[in-house]
Amino acid sequence: MATTGIRGQARQDAIAGWLFVAPALAILGIFLVVPILFAAYYSFTDWNGISPPTEARLIGLRNYYDLLLSGGIKQQDFFKALKNTTYFALGVVPLQTGAALVLAVIVNQRGLRFKDFFRTAYYFPSITSSIAISLIFLFLYQKSGLVNYVLEVITFGRWEPIAWLADARGLFHILLEPLGITLRTGPEFLRAKVAGLTLWDWISGPSVALTAIMLQNSWTTTGTMMVIFLAALQDIPSFVYEAAQIDGANNWQIFWKITLPLLRPTLFFVITLGLIGTYQVFDQIYVMTSGGPAKTTLTMAYIVYRNGFRNSEMGLGLATAVLLFAIIFLLTMLQRRITEAREG
Amino acid sequence: MRHRTLWTLLAALTVLAMVLAACAVPAAPQAPAEEAAPAQEAAPAEEMAPEEEAQVVELTLMGWASSEAENTRLQQVVDVFNEQNPDIQVTLNLVPSYDEKLQASLAGGSPPDVFYIDSFRLPDLVEAGALEPYEPQALDPDDFYPSLRNAFTWDGTFWCPPKDFSTLALEYNKDLFDAAGLDYPTPDWTWDDLRAAAEALTDPDNGVYGIVLSADFARWIAFLYQAGGSVTDEGYTQMTINSPEALEAMEFYVGLVLDGYAAQPSDLDSGWNGEAFGKGRAAMAIEGNWINPYLQDQFPDLNWGVTELPSGPGGQATMAFTVCYGVPAAGMYKEESFRLVNFLTGPEGMQMWTDLGLAMPTRRSLREGWLEKFPALEPFLNGAEYAHKWQFVPGFSDVMDTINSGLQEAMAGTKLPEDVLAEAEAVGNEILARWRERKGQ
Amino acid sequence: MTISHAPPRGRSRPLSTVLWDRTRLVLSYAILFGLALAFFYPFTLAVTTSFKPLPEIAANPVKLLPDQWTLEGYRRMVGLNVDRWLFNSAFVAVCITLGNVILASLAGYALSRVPFPGREALFLAILGTMMIPGIVLLIPRFILFKLLGMIDTYQGLIVPGLVTSFGIFLMKQFFESIPVELEEAAFMDGASRFQIYWNVVLPLTRPAVIALTIFSFQGSWNDFMGPLIVISTNQDLYTLPLGLAFLRGGIGQNLQWNAILAGSMLTTLPMALIFLFFQRYFIEGISYAGLKG
Repeated sequence: MATTGIRGQARQDAIAGWLFVAPALAILGIFLVVPILFAAYYSFTDWNGISPPTEARLIGLRNYYDLLLSGGIKQQDFFKALKNTTYFALGVVPLQTGAALVLAVIVNQRGLRFKDFFRTAYYFPSITSSIAISLIFLFLYQKSGLVNYVLEVITFGRWEPIAWLADARGLFHILLEPLGITLRTGPEFLRAKVAGLTLWDWISGPSVALTAIMLQNSWTTTGTMMVIFLAALQDIPSFVYEAAQIDGANNWQIFWKITLPLLRPTLFFVITLGLIGTYQVFDQIYVMTSGGPAKTTLTMAYIVYRNGFRNSEMGLGLATAVLLFAIIFLLTMLQRRITEAREG
Repeated sequence: MRHRTLWTLLAALTVLAMVLAACAVPAAPQAPAEEAAPAQEAAPAEEMAPEEEAQVVELTLMGWASSEAENTRLQQVVDVFNEQNPDIQVTLNLVPSYDEKLQASLAGGSPPDVFYIDSFRLPDLVEAGALEPYEPQALDPDDFYPSLRNAFTWDGTFWCPPKDFSTLALEYNKDLFDAAGLDYPTPDWTWDDLRAAAEALTDPDNGVYGIVLSADFARWIAFLYQAGGSVTDEGYTQMTINSPEALEAMEFYVGLVLDGYAAQPSDLDSGWNGEAFGKGRAAMAIEGNWINPYLQDQFPDLNWGVTELPSGPGGQATMAFTVCYGVPAAGMYKEESFRLVNFLTGPEGMQMWTDLGLAMPTRRSLREGWLEKFPALEPFLNGAEYAHKWQFVPGFSDVMDTINSGLQEAMAGTKLPEDVLAEAEAVGNEILARWRERKGQ
Repeated sequence: MTISHAPPRGRSRPLSTVLWDRTRLVLSYAILFGLALAFFYPFTLAVTTSFKPLPEIAANPVKLLPDQWTLEGYRRMVGLNVDRWLFNSAFVAVCITLGNVILASLAGYALSRVPFPGREALFLAILGTMMIPGIVLLIPRFILFKLLGMIDTYQGLIVPGLVTSFGIFLMKQFFESIPVELEEAAFMDGASRFQIYWNVVLPLTRPAVIALTIFSFQGSWNDFMGPLIVISTNQDLYTLPLGLAFLRGGIGQNLQWNAILAGSMLTTLPMALIFLFFQRYFIEGISYAGLKG
């Protein structure tokens, strides 16, 4: 009994183990792995999305060439989207992470009341549908809407209302203008083309419209990040602070020397989450701007959709998606490298 | 004990399968009447149809949703067809986000039996082999205006009959003109008249502009033709958009905005030109006759008139936007589908459809009857004589995007019109070359 | 909550420190309440605007309270079949939540406790799929749905969401924190693997199951990209976010703000109610995921 029992147990476990994971595995296999294979294959075809997929022809690296090297419109749009998305990430990730961290530290103060209320209030937008929020902000960002109104009130009427989501001017361009640098007055090298776009285009910064969506996005996600930080903060045993206080450290020193290092894993988790999220921003663009004005809110995720479903170039759309995958993968890897280097 | 484990596992998986099965209920049947809970809808769809309605062919007619009046009228026309043809039952399905959804349903699946096609979109669909040609089934095709027939002819084949059409005309707010002491616009206006009136009507203190102009290729193109310019040459071999005429047209169009006599809809808290015009924030607008039911519905008190577009240096020109009823090559009931198409675009169906004044009949034989009913809308109909078609080659939406984007920047003053045109030319030539290359293969 | 204003330890605190503490607290409240207002006010304005007639909104989109209350916006939404969208959203979310809890906990249990050949490799593979960004799946999933005939069906809305790699990961991590001794006792009594999972381990995982329930439900309820691809022409299968996104309409249609905001509120309200009732679990869930992740 004893010997067969052990062997029998091993066999039983093998069966049970695989049976337990089988349903999950089937679903992940069919709806995650198979599509990835499709994506890889069809990104080498000219499938238009109208005729049956079986009629698609293999065209080698043509789609990738069009996107990366051709110098044509597909390349321009791709790099425009890459530029916009990168500005988006560079704006949103630090903003939401920083704001969330500061808020978490403030809320976590000893002696502060209404903690639960603040936590609830800040977390609330995170549970709301991105579509609903986009529609609400579409309303608020109108020229005569709330955002302009508030800005007018707090600047005592000096603020000129703008149609936020129709404003294609780049933030950096706006900042450069008072310095006398515009495309016409700036040095000649700004007109040089790099990867399909002029240097002047590359340094535009996010457009006003994209900035509006960036602020909205931060508004939505800061709460989630704050709750994560708060949980991590509350995990730090209080004797650590007390010891530091006895040693005569002030609050500022405690934050930089103790709290922040202890939060490092959480910080990197939040940044990774932010990066992955921002590089895929789609819903807001679909509802609010469709990539306009003047393509300044065209994002990577949105051109995947646009190329595939709107412009009837599924092959090209898939190649875009594969490249986006590669970019997100590289960013995550890079970030992991940095984390490990710091910790090690 | 081993048996027991296996049995428990099997039991568990069965339960799981049942849960999933309960969730994975088949789609609700298409018939809108069905409002039962989905869990009960699972079976009937397949069981009932063959028994009771064995002889009836069910067709779906897919289009995009418009104003409520328009949707209701189309349903009425379809109801008449259903009555006259007991062997065919047509269901109308008006979907948002139409182009994407049409493409999605064409791709190797079960496409709708009849669907709208915009003239701009036709080449994409034809060259993807998605359409069944209308020509062999055509009902009195010579009665259609040649320019409209032409808009649905590609590679020498007449693919689908136009259901109606609209042309761009100039709408003006009579009260604002009266207040400014100006005469109403007339068909013999020139660009200079338009500009002078826009200047005189602009009233920045009240937030009123002379005219509302959108950064839209489909509006600016009328000015391009009025200037004597063109987009491509006859055979689509190369772009001709980077011309002095085009530059003049763009400088005029953009100049109205830069000089402050015109504004974009978004600057007037509006989603489109018609809304800004209806709200009285702009004294003039350039839109098609779809603006008519819209204004009647949303701004019934607005006192407005319409006239033909002004002439530019190259004479009179406007755009004709038209939509046809297409039948998919992969359709199940093509014969019945064409019967429906011929009813909708035949004299009776078309008259019913157009006598609300929403859109204009595409058959010349219906012209006089329609004009008697809607004399005020004559300017739209007159445009048909000199209208250009809204159609280029497959993949041309990239060019349209480029021009829209360029117009936006030019109106913001961040790009020069000549740069916009140079870019449009480059992108256009790339698209034309790409198209020829694909055709050659 | 810990004791506020801890008594001075050892030496008495100088007056300046006490003053600074006070100022800091006041400043903190100012920031926190100001931000709370910034988070709540847009929703409040959206709610009240959804009860305004259209001309009033056009005249002044900033004013909080309507001069004239109307249900026009909600009526329009009912005309658009919003009740059906609501049902679809709820139905799909419930199915997906059930599936996730069952499938992820089964798989998570096996991966953490049942020694079976290939387990380590399998877990790594599942972790790997977590790296796949959803947007990459947009078009290929469409192809797959076409091939499987899942376009315009409930299956298409539900089945792909029945389990997520994240859910499996979360459950596995949690099972590993449960002491093995509990199971060993049951083993000695001759219980099968499934019995142990069902009777012993699962009841201990309440926090993780609740977290997973909330994530799954919220994810499904708010999902837009999934339905956008699956639902093509059958408008009876719209979920709330999908129907809502199409309200922007096209040319010839006004933005009917009262209806749009009414729809937004109808989408937000059920989640908000669930959130208010189960607040603690939401916060715990996200904190838990954050700490584990």
